[in-house]
Amino acid sequence: MKAPIQLTVNQKEYALEVEPSAMLLEVLRDQLKLKSVHRGCLEGECGVCTVLLNSEPVNSCLILAVQADGAKIITLEGLLKHGELHPLMKSFVENLGFQCGYCTSGFLMTAYSLLNNSKKPTEEEIRKGIEGNLCRCTGYVNIVKSIQAAAEEKDSGNWW
Amino acid sequence: MENRETRIISGKGQYIDDLEFHDMAYLAFVGSPHAHAKILGYDVRKALETPGVLTVITGKEIVELTNPLPVQADLSAPGWTWRLAKVYALAVDKVRWYGEPVAAVIAEDEHTAIKAAELVEIQYEPLPVVTDMTEAMKPGAPLLYDDWEDNKQVHLKFDFGDVDAAFKEADHVLKVSYREGRVSAFPLEARGFIASYDKNMESLTMWGTFQTPFMARHNIAETLGLPEVKVKVIAVDIGGAFGNKIHTWKENVVALGSKLIGRPVKWVELQREWFATGPHQRDVVWDGEIAFKNDGTLLGVKATVIHDLGVESTNKGIAATSIFPACSAVANAYHWKGMHIEGLGIVTNKSFYCAYRGYGKDKGVKFIEHVLDQVAKELHMTPEAVRFKNFIQPDEFPYKQINNYTYDSGDYPATMNKALEMADVDSWREKQKELREQEKYIGIGVAFTIEPAGVAIRNCQMGGITEARVKIAYDGTVEVHSDRTEIGQGADRSHAIIVSDILGCNIEDVMVAPVTSDWIGQGPLSSRGAVYPASAVAKAAKMLREKVLTYSSVFLEDERENIEIHDGMIYSINDRQKRLTYKELAQRAYFFPGPRGLPKEILKKHDHLLDVTTTWYSDVTAETGASYTTFCSSADIAVVEVDTETGITQVLKYVHVHDAGKITDKQIVDGQIHGGIVQGIGEALSEELVYSENGKLLSTSHADYLMPTAVDAPDILVGHLETPSPFTELGTKGMGEAPIIGSKAVILSALEDALSPFNVRVNESPATREKVRKWVLGAKK
Repeated sequence: MKAPIQLTVNQKEYALEVEPSAMLLEVLRDQLKLKSVHRGCLEGECGVCTVLLNSEPVNSCLILAVQADGAKIITLEGLLKHGELHPLMKSFVENLGFQCGYCTSGFLMTAYSLLNNSKKPTEEEIRKGIEGNLCRCTGYVNIVKSIQAAAEEKDSGNWW
Repeated sequence: MENRETRIISGKGQYIDDLEFHDMAYLAFVGSPHAHAKILGYDVRKALETPGVLTVITGKEIVELTNPLPVQADLSAPGWTWRLAKVYALAVDKVRWYGEPVAAVIAEDEHTAIKAAELVEIQYEPLPVVTDMTEAMKPGAPLLYDDWEDNKQVHLKFDFGDVDAAFKEADHVLKVSYREGRVSAFPLEARGFIASYDKNMESLTMWGTFQTPFMARHNIAETLGLPEVKVKVIAVDIGGAFGNKIHTWKENVVALGSKLIGRPVKWVELQREWFATGPHQRDVVWDGEIAFKNDGTLLGVKATVIHDLGVESTNKGIAATSIFPACSAVANAYHWKGMHIEGLGIVTNKSFYCAYRGYGKDKGVKFIEHVLDQVAKELHMTPEAVRFKNFIQPDEFPYKQINNYTYDSGDYPATMNKALEMADVDSWREKQKELREQEKYIGIGVAFTIEPAGVAIRNCQMGGITEARVKIAYDGTVEVHSDRTEIGQGADRSHAIIVSDILGCNIEDVMVAPVTSDWIGQGPLSSRGAVYPASAVAKAAKMLREKVLTYSSVFLEDERENIEIHDGMIYSINDRQKRLTYKELAQRAYFFPGPRGLPKEILKKHDHLLDVTTTWYSDVTAETGASYTTFCSSADIAVVEVDTETGITQVLKYVHVHDAGKITDKQIVDGQIHGGIVQGIGEALSEELVYSENGKLLSTSHADYLMPTAVDAPDILVGHLETPSPFTELGTKGMGEAPIIGSKAVILSALEDALSPFNVRVNESPATREKVRKWVLGAKK
């Protein structure tokens, strides 16, 4: 018996029918085909599935789709502006803030929220802010650098 | 053309979980709840009757329809033990570790497959379990393989130089022991495959997390009993590998599933299964002695290293082979007179051993670096003084090391000096003295690592095979093929740089193709990417450049010596108006005028196409039989603070100086360094796969298996030296493993230094907070 929910995802409104037991993660991936939201541990430990729900970073594997009814969701795809890379994305490319890319969408959502909520965070604040996102490839050094560089961009007005 | 970086960052990655094929079915595995048991029977009726279930595969079908997994390495030699086991893709008759796949359910969707997997009923007769390698070696221990007399799969023995003479000369002989806990890479994406068997063509195509597509093709074809030429394996975007995705095993069941139902079948592994049935590594115990002189001159080592292989390690993957470099690695960067090293591999009821960054080359280094710290303490020398005393010197290269490796190039003293300077070790040692008086404990660790790369050995699937192709299309775009699968390590970008540098074309016009089994090679394992594949690609590009110059001289009507290429423009240095873009050259070469426009000498040699396929092999291996071609070196220095109340170790400073020969892309190399270092820190302080006494894996998620977060990881200062390798096409050296080796060694070394007022020898890992507390409480001050 499916449940009807309303979601605004990347500024588009959707009326969906979901299984009551379905997680937000699978609805975003399987119904809305937003493949940037990756499946990782499915237990809220790795952060690979991070999306913004009403501007807060959440592990979409831990949120039931029905819980998200009425929410505003942003995924990585939502940061593109007519295909143009968001300054945060550009920063990650320029500073090699990713290698295999599997954790990257989750990091970008967390970083986007972090930078929207704080003015030029310190390295310590950045590391604390991304603590819930695991990365196995980069050792975090370039992730921190990418976020710091993006903070500069935001500060100079290059942001959306 | 968009490059990989902008594609991935825009969310356009194509990982196996993202691929959806028409009419695709889904597979879920059933894992054994026992660590050791006989399988008495299967009852799959409930599973089969579940709506949406298409078929169930058990050990019965596997034995009927597939062959045992092929042996991937056979290093049997006189005086050595090397045992092989007959192993299938699923458990047959017996399960040997907790989680071992015993059956597979294929259904219309993933949820149904997972639910139905829980309905498969299997009757087991539990057998005694052995989870400790020492117990497993005792007579009367439960036997894992009935046709083996005991649980020893491998026993290698090495005699290097003259160990008796070495010990005779000794002023000191120190007993040493060292152990590493069980860990693995567990990249955030586990394994996943889609198999599509075409009944009409009788061919199999597979997509997935294949780190080594060419080898996977061979292993799958042999297991499924298919002609190898009818099997194609394609690597998709891979979410990290680190060696954990080299072996070929579960995907055979996915392939069989597709063959049985005549539809594409997908399997994406869930994390808990990854921890339980993924390849494991490290888990070694060293025992030995070191002989040295009063002035710090190292003489010799006698040591035995025992590996806990879990179940057999020659069929799913090639990890038993890692025992070889583990033994050889003891020599590291130093002069020696003699060594006797024995390497054992014992089977126990745990998941199988395969590759994790380091592979085997890591173990001897970590052991000897710990041992040298003990030598330093015994002689009241600084740890770096012992290294400086014994380093191979810059003027000795190429250096025939006692372990029969030929070290290509390096400047170890300069590398170490640079690290000491960058870390400002003297200031930290001053600070250490001050803080000790306040009962605060910091420690300074020093470690040096040699990383061999470019493996080529006999009787093994890692024989030194590679293939590369570089081709220019009609529109001037350039296509590059090799066996260097992109796993996040920057293979695509590196090859694009190499080709565009050599051809002088624009890097935006170079497309590095996804790696498939079409190209012979071992894949990016053991850091060989910058050795074999890069050399083959460079060679192909150089050969293609020759053709470009030749054809251009014809079409521009100028002497060949006058032709130059820059930024995608081919021109005559005498008359800049005489020029061609790569596109214009290709148009002339292909169709307008085409081959008829080339001189008859070229046509008669059949040398008229802008396309080169080639291979490469190491000269030094050919001449000297060396198993590896290049040798990176690195110095790690770390400062840690230990809170003796909580046992928590924090990294205050981390310096790494690296010599990877000629660097293709510094950002990529630095990225490898950062990543490897943080993995090593995780191994040193928190990561451990723990099994209960009855063989149940207790570390089944990130909540138990603690990988470093951004808060745990330190900032890392990196310095570089470049001593080009004389043995590769471009002077590049394979790199990526030294960072994980040196970091683990240096963190433990720093921790030991911090705890020296407590007289604690930190010779085991992980040095968790509980262990540190225990050591502090149990120690005499």
